[in-house]
Amino acid sequence: MVTGSATRTRAILSARVLILSAGVFLMVVPFAYMFATSLKPNALVLEIPPKLIPHPATTANYTDAWTSNKFGRYFLNSLGVAIATTFFSVWLSSMMAYAFARFSFPGRRILFGLLLIGLMVPTMMLIIPQFILAKNLGMLDSLSGLVFFYTGGTLALNTFLLRSFFQDIPRELEEAMVVDGAGPWKRYLKLILPLSRPALATVGIFSFLASWDEFVWALTVINDPNKRTLPIAIELFQGEHSTSWGLVFAASSIAVVPVLLAFVIFQRQFISGLTTGALKA
Amino acid sequence: MRPFSRRLRTRRSRLTASSSSTSSTGRLERSATALRFGGRTVQSSKRKETLAAYTFLAPGFILFALVVLYPIARAFQISLYHWSIVPGTTSQYIGLGNYTHALHDPIFWRALENTGAYMVFTVPAQIVIGMTVAVLLDARMPARGLFRTLYYLPVVTSWVVVSLLFRYMFITDGGLINFVLHDKLHVIGHNIEWLSHRWSALAVISILGIWKGIGWSMVIFLAALQTVPRELKEAAAVDGAKAWARFRAVSLPAILPVIAFVTVMLVIGGFNVFISVFLITNGGPLDQTQVLLTYMYRQAFSFLDFGYGSSLSFTLTLIVFALSIAQLRLFRRPKDAA
Amino acid sequence: MRFRQTILALGLIVAVAAMAATAGARVATTQSKTTTITFWDAYSSDGPEVKRLEKVLIPQFEKEHPGIKVKDVTIPYDSLHQKLITAVAGSQLPDLVRSDIIWVPELANLGVLQPLDTTLPDFKSISSKVFAGPLATNYWKGHYYGLPLDTNTRIWVYSPLAMQAAGVSAPPKTFAQLQADSATAKGKGAYFYAESGTSCWNICPWIWSNGGSITNGTYTKATGFLNGPKAVQAVQMLVNLYKAGQMPNIVVDSNGGLGTYDGLAQKKYTSMLDGPWSFSIFASAYKNTQLAGTTVPAGPGGSVSVVGGEDIVMTKSSKNKTAAAEFMRFMLHSFAQTQMARAGQMPVLKSSTASLVKIHPYYATYLKQIATAKPRTPTPKWPQIDQVFQTQVAKAFTGDETVQQALTDAAQQIDGLLK
Repeated sequence: MVTGSATRTRAILSARVLILSAGVFLMVVPFAYMFATSLKPNALVLEIPPKLIPHPATTANYTDAWTSNKFGRYFLNSLGVAIATTFFSVWLSSMMAYAFARFSFPGRRILFGLLLIGLMVPTMMLIIPQFILAKNLGMLDSLSGLVFFYTGGTLALNTFLLRSFFQDIPRELEEAMVVDGAGPWKRYLKLILPLSRPALATVGIFSFLASWDEFVWALTVINDPNKRTLPIAIELFQGEHSTSWGLVFAASSIAVVPVLLAFVIFQRQFISGLTTGALKA
Repeated sequence: MRPFSRRLRTRRSRLTASSSSTSSTGRLERSATALRFGGRTVQSSKRKETLAAYTFLAPGFILFALVVLYPIARAFQISLYHWSIVPGTTSQYIGLGNYTHALHDPIFWRALENTGAYMVFTVPAQIVIGMTVAVLLDARMPARGLFRTLYYLPVVTSWVVVSLLFRYMFITDGGLINFVLHDKLHVIGHNIEWLSHRWSALAVISILGIWKGIGWSMVIFLAALQTVPRELKEAAAVDGAKAWARFRAVSLPAILPVIAFVTVMLVIGGFNVFISVFLITNGGPLDQTQVLLTYMYRQAFSFLDFGYGSSLSFTLTLIVFALSIAQLRLFRRPKDAA
Repeated sequence: MRFRQTILALGLIVAVAAMAATAGARVATTQSKTTTITFWDAYSSDGPEVKRLEKVLIPQFEKEHPGIKVKDVTIPYDSLHQKLITAVAGSQLPDLVRSDIIWVPELANLGVLQPLDTTLPDFKSISSKVFAGPLATNYWKGHYYGLPLDTNTRIWVYSPLAMQAAGVSAPPKTFAQLQADSATAKGKGAYFYAESGTSCWNICPWIWSNGGSITNGTYTKATGFLNGPKAVQAVQMLVNLYKAGQMPNIVVDSNGGLGTYDGLAQKKYTSMLDGPWSFSIFASAYKNTQLAGTTVPAGPGGSVSVVGGEDIVMTKSSKNKTAAAEFMRFMLHSFAQTQMARAGQMPVLKSSTASLVKIHPYYATYLKQIATAKPRTPTPKWPQIDQVFQTQVAKAFTGDETVQQALTDAAQQIDGLLK
């Protein structure tokens, strides 16, 4: 009986891994192609038949991309803006989500509705009013201005997501703290935040990604070449008449690394922690 | 965290002990409210609650109102005018003129169709596949972290890059896809002209959307699945339920609100598709693959007709809003039952 | 918890440091007593033009004009128009812009450009030194709103090896020759002439070479001209080539097909119409393919191609108009023009032509072609007009409408836009 179920479990596990691997292959093939292209000298970018293994392979594109025109600077700019945006966005949206999830107050429905509206309007159309606003606030051509607008833009989604997670946290835990005399801030900091690590991690990753990838707004407000962010730098490799594809893909491969790192770091810390965690009260 | 629960049980027993010893109902009421709000009277604690709520809400909401709500209001105002972009010049007020113009614009209707089609192709696929992968990953297995990271990889790459990548992969002669399908696997008779026809081009754009989005919904579903208490799943297994039945009875109802959320978000995202269409076909050939946002972009930034462009984006918003309300209603009923 | 806090703290430090560093840079420049003029352009960021601009031209200018600093901002071409429009709406335009010639009437019409014929005292003298065609692209409602900076046109660019492999020994000199050669090449399995779109940039050279035109002389009416017999005949010739399978499908749909450059390199195409940049691009990206150039095949109207290029414009909102004017003069001086010529940018200065051919031999053909090249209709609504043109001509190619029908529809719509 025991051996039977053990083999069955192993069989199910192998089946899972197999299906997942097949899916992963499909996920990864375009990247393999992109990575392979980034290793080809520029002239052979579109060759027939397409080869997944570049031959000859060269890292010239990577060195060219990195040394071209302050690329390292743009990388750091994007990194700084993304980290700051993530921090502020997670903090502010978790506070708002806590208010929506746990308190009843006049105007709750309306304010939440306004949040939803913010979620549904395509941001492309807001560029002109936002640009004039940024000008009036003196936030043009500044990285901190970028953080200001990026944070504002991510608040609706993050609050929405966090609110539903907060609502799932059992009220009894919080009420116990109330009995102990804990005020809302203490409850927020000591109970809600620690228990929502996976949600906070998820929201953090989304915010980081949104900021890291954002192109149109950054292009519109940033003029000073020293303040450019990475997506602008990558776009610049596309000329009016031709595109340096090897450089574009090399630069893009470099750009993927920090977000992946953030994902790997945060995922490990928080989702694996959850299985031994508090909700087993 | 375990000490907490022990304290909770002792607190409760001590409380019930104390309340049973009170004589007047007033004191009972007061201690009950003391339990719930930690304040003195119901009224001041209500005010305290409101104040607390606003304190938590204020910083974020003010930023949100400034950066998002105010521009939305301005953009709506712009949509009611024949707007002149040069500051200081007067624009001509035309009320709903831009909106009625859209209703008579055949390209607007085609863009609406295409956007709807994209949504219909990509949203269910992302939910189903994302959920499948999340379920598969919701178990102890080797290289689980690696799998998670690899599935998430497309989400993490910029839309600009993957759009260009897919465009290159689907080139008619010499693209990777036709090469594999035609020259290697011999599944098709001759090279498909993917990007030259409306529906095949939309298929390519949809495949890109699905490929890029699976990891996003997977991550959310996985986090949700992991909050489903293991005892419930194990209890169902002990009862002899098979995997699919277990899933339907235990996990699915528990994460229904998350599914609702993901669906709403994917629909919003689907309607907001822009960069992939812009870079892969730019609405072509001959406006066959226009979606609402690419058409809006052209009106606003190529033709400088911001009033019209704005009206298109608000029409889009209205549709998305209506759809989201409908979806939330749809998902609410079974949840209340459960 | 600890780990996360450390990461967050680290991140914040990086963020603050980055912002402090850039803020510091900003403070430094505002404290100096020099005038800084900002110049927007759309050169490729890793291209030879921007390198020359930043490493040779700007230092030379700043040496000659101590007290003026030039800040060059390179913007991806595809985004430059959008950025300009947003800047107009937000009153954030720079001092100078290297603008595509087709945007100048639009910007002038918005009232954001400085009319140079009234601002520059030496305007007459400068303008006499540049080519007439490119200069005309700056004209709008009685004034000149910019000066030409660089020009280009399309000539018949081909790969001699590919052509020979297709059974044709020399490039065509006439329309009739083109048609014969196309048939020959088809027999050998190659496309003779590849065109990658149906906008005016692509098609107008043929219309003009056939003696047709888009509008009347004062640019107020298209009906009777765009759908006139000569224009229809020219477009019909191309449509016939396409229908006979002698032109690749990228003319109606450039998305999934083989691009002109790749096609030439792979010998699937023998020729295209293109500007001087194609030579530089092939020299660096397609080293195995040699290119040659000749003038566009002549029709009854001669060999007439289309004027492209960029103008340098000064904004009304500029606070440093005198300094900006100095930079403009510098860029139109023979030193700057010759330097940029080395980077593949054709100069607009008449006196530079002698030295041009020494720099790159293919310039000789371009100079010849540009002498007769025509500009596209200078009007603020050009993007819409070009959109109509492109859509209707594509309908003629796909057979959705006959050439005459398609062009008549186009002319009607364009009449409305020209009002």
